[in-house]
Amino acid sequence: MTRTPEELPLSGQKPVDEDVRQELQDHIERRAAELVEGGWTVADARAEAERVFGDIRGVSDECRHITSKARRSRRRGEWLDGVTSDLRFALRLLRRSPTFAFVAIATLALGVGANSAIFSLIDGVLLRPLPYPRGDQLVNVAEQHRKGASHLPYANFVDIRAQSKSFQQLAEFYSSRSTVLGANAPIRATTAFVTGDFFPMLRTTVQLGRLTTAADHQFGAVPVAVISDRFWRDHFAANRDLQSLRLRGEFNMQVVGVAAPGFDFPDGADIWIPLELERQATSRTAHNAAALGRLRDGVTPAAAQQDVSTVLRHIGETAGLDFDAVGARVTSLHADQAGGTRTPLLLLLGASGLLLLTACTNLASTLLARGTARQQELAVRTAIGAGRGRVVRQIFTESLVIAVLGCGAGLVLAEGLLRGMALVAPPELVVMQTARLDLPVVGFTAATALATALLFGFLPGLRISAVDTGQLMRGSRGASSRRGAIWSALVAVQVALAVILLIGSGLLIRSFARVTQVDLGFDPVGVTTFATDLPELNYPDVQQAIRFHDRVLELVRAIPGVQAAGVTLVPPLADEGPSGGIEVEGKPALSPAYPSTGHGIYQLASVGFFQSLGIKIVRGRDFAESDTPTSPPVVIVNQQLAAREWPGEDPIGKRFRESGMDRVAVEPWATVIGVARDVPASSRTSPPGETYYYTYRQLPNRARFLTATVRSILPTAQLERAIRAAIDRVDPNVPAEFGTMPAVVASSVATRRFMVLLLGLFAGVALLLAAVGIYGVVAYSVAQRTREIGIRIALGAAPAAVGRMVQLGAMGVVLAGVAIGVAGALGATRLLRSLLYEVTPTDPLAFGGVIVLLVVTAWLASWAPARRGTRIDPVAAIRAE
Amino acid sequence: MPAAPMALVKGTLDILILRTLAWGPTHGYAISRWIREMTRDDLQVEEGALYPALRRLEERELVESAWKRTETGREAKVYHLTAAGRRQLQRDLDGWTRYVTAMTRVLQARPSGAIG
Repeated sequence: MTRTPEELPLSGQKPVDEDVRQELQDHIERRAAELVEGGWTVADARAEAERVFGDIRGVSDECRHITSKARRSRRRGEWLDGVTSDLRFALRLLRRSPTFAFVAIATLALGVGANSAIFSLIDGVLLRPLPYPRGDQLVNVAEQHRKGASHLPYANFVDIRAQSKSFQQLAEFYSSRSTVLGANAPIRATTAFVTGDFFPMLRTTVQLGRLTTAADHQFGAVPVAVISDRFWRDHFAANRDLQSLRLRGEFNMQVVGVAAPGFDFPDGADIWIPLELERQATSRTAHNAAALGRLRDGVTPAAAQQDVSTVLRHIGETAGLDFDAVGARVTSLHADQAGGTRTPLLLLLGASGLLLLTACTNLASTLLARGTARQQELAVRTAIGAGRGRVVRQIFTESLVIAVLGCGAGLVLAEGLLRGMALVAPPELVVMQTARLDLPVVGFTAATALATALLFGFLPGLRISAVDTGQLMRGSRGASSRRGAIWSALVAVQVALAVILLIGSGLLIRSFARVTQVDLGFDPVGVTTFATDLPELNYPDVQQAIRFHDRVLELVRAIPGVQAAGVTLVPPLADEGPSGGIEVEGKPALSPAYPSTGHGIYQLASVGFFQSLGIKIVRGRDFAESDTPTSPPVVIVNQQLAAREWPGEDPIGKRFRESGMDRVAVEPWATVIGVARDVPASSRTSPPGETYYYTYRQLPNRARFLTATVRSILPTAQLERAIRAAIDRVDPNVPAEFGTMPAVVASSVATRRFMVLLLGLFAGVALLLAAVGIYGVVAYSVAQRTREIGIRIALGAAPAAVGRMVQLGAMGVVLAGVAIGVAGALGATRLLRSLLYEVTPTDPLAFGGVIVLLVVTAWLASWAPARRGTRIDPVAAIRAE
Repeated sequence: MPAAPMALVKGTLDILILRTLAWGPTHGYAISRWIREMTRDDLQVEEGALYPALRRLEERELVESAWKRTETGREAKVYHLTAAGRRQLQRDLDGWTRYVTAMTRVLQARPSGAIG
């Protein structure tokens, strides 16, 4: 029968009832005896004694009550004292076996730390709501085309806004980065052009002044602007007199309001101006601005998509050929914003989950080993009278100490990991800079680890209290071999998890290597870029803009150390260039309504552009100074365009022209003078589009926003100073934004590098944990088989052979783990597919490499304990038991 | 003719018990008899009231108890003062003396000057 502490008697004490009854009884008897001595009869004396005592029953009830209460509270105090001494004992034990303490605590810390960090990140990126009231109602509205989705043309947007029943508000916007004057110095800022419902839709307000009104959102209205809090503070020193704040960009604008602090939607906007100030294209195929809507209460994105599709169908019925949508696409803004980061983050979550599992398994086996080693000690303690409850509590306390220390270290690690990740995070995961440890997340992870520690710390203890202590003290074999089996299984699981993580990161590393080996088609090293723009306000005549670029390029080329310099519209890897219809001479038009014979990505270039980036002209010639605004128009095409339009023919001398979407302007025919090597446009893993290059001198209407590329041997800072000086000599009011091509190239693989780094780290840790596990199980099996090994050596077995035998035994467990891991990886790596590049999810090199790595690691990890086994002195070993 | 016995002032039983135990460990009955004899029946103490009081003192760790075999061979629950009990007795005695002195002074004073 088990008793709770309250029921157990203290030493030298009687049970409460007995204690009270006997004491009162004693009093009555002594009193009666005294009376008898005084001459009373025995019966009278008894009655008198009871009378003068008073209410016997009441007194004894009161006594019982007082004493039971006192005893209970004293026992509680003693129990607490016991816990304190358990704690002290546990800490002393940990200090005495620092290796065990370190392994257990470090294991827990790794699991808890990695998980807390990754969970916090995911919470910040994927789960946290948008920073707008009822952000869940905000949806992106786009048109669906045969090849994908694209922006809603303004004309269609106007009709949908009028006819759709799904939205509280629907707004369109686009942003551009351009020069703004009016602050102290000319600056490049991001301007967002927004329709009238933009601010009400986001339910944002101003901290000063006013938002735009319906009157502001009219073509021909007086231009007004709302500026961001950051822009206001950085460039206007938070001047509260808005009347005095004017901005000159594409318009001459009066500042009327300052947005709420932190508001910078879309694209980190600095300035918002009414989109209606610009004349909007009437074409129903001009996909210029993005549309965002706020759904009415109770309307789902799917229902809205249905609704918008219906409106679009009606438009299509009357629009004729100037219409290319096959339906609508309405998607949650929240989900879309997380979109690109979703896969990598979920993958990291999976990986850190596997790591936590590995850590818990490792901890379990470490604690089991510990329990086994202490079996005899605990059995002795039980035998000399320690209560089983007391022993179990002791083990519980020890597990708890390990768990708490491990979790504490884990939290420190998590914080460090978050900060470290923020340093190496790619720009897409910019939210990392703001990710913070999240309490519920930390709680969950810590609870998992704690549960593991307690459960596996407990198991051996519970078994001891269940097993016959005498048997244990003699050194039982049955229980320990069963425990050996559990342990082997745990190690196999660790190995399997490590294999999965290693194969996953192996595949990513192979992809990364492939991606970085992709032939860019240009040489980024030593190339500095600078972007300028020349708004109509300052450069009303585009010929002035051309003269600006001519003059600046001339001065830059003259800087000592500059080898080549040119300009382009969009440099490689920065973005996909704009796409438009082209008309190739002699080819049939795609549609009778348009002259287009196909599409192409248009670019601008100049003398020195291809040279500065090291892009080869594979046929024909480069642009020359003789290609001027007045000379016959010429064009250079890339290999893709040449192959599509003139397969098997010489493209040089062929003619084509831009056909234009709106039939607004028809360009003159241009003659192909050269074929340039393909260079990647948006990402290095997607093939470049069919691209053609005009010289900016001959297509001047696009010459206002250009990026220059400069190849030089000068240090970046020195070159930037020299370029700035050159620009100032031409026009000090033109700001320039500098960058380098190596940085662009590096950021194009930033997400990949980040994933490789983290997953590699996790896999490395998992491998380490598995190695520790293998070491432990081999050491354990050597300890268990001391006697057997002793006999073998006594009978003449070579120590080396015995060591090999022990190691081979361990390899069985490892190979079983590897087999499970490979099977698991075959399933798991399929999830990686979207992140792989020119590597299949079943890449034999990654799988084979990991198997070899694991087997070698296991062999090394089991070597030391196995060697120790062979140094056993046979006589001592046999005597020991 | 002796006056009718007075009821014990609340809290004073504790002082009497501690005072008794100050002479040495003893059992409940002996304490009861000693109080009875010393107060010469001027104080009316129901004998049973002693035991809850003893147990409360024990709860406050002013006294401790153990079952012991006495000189007559009977088993008796013997109480003794703890160090804390001894200190408490000293405080109580000081307090009591001050209280009695003050009360006596007031009760025996004659009005001098204008009191009303």
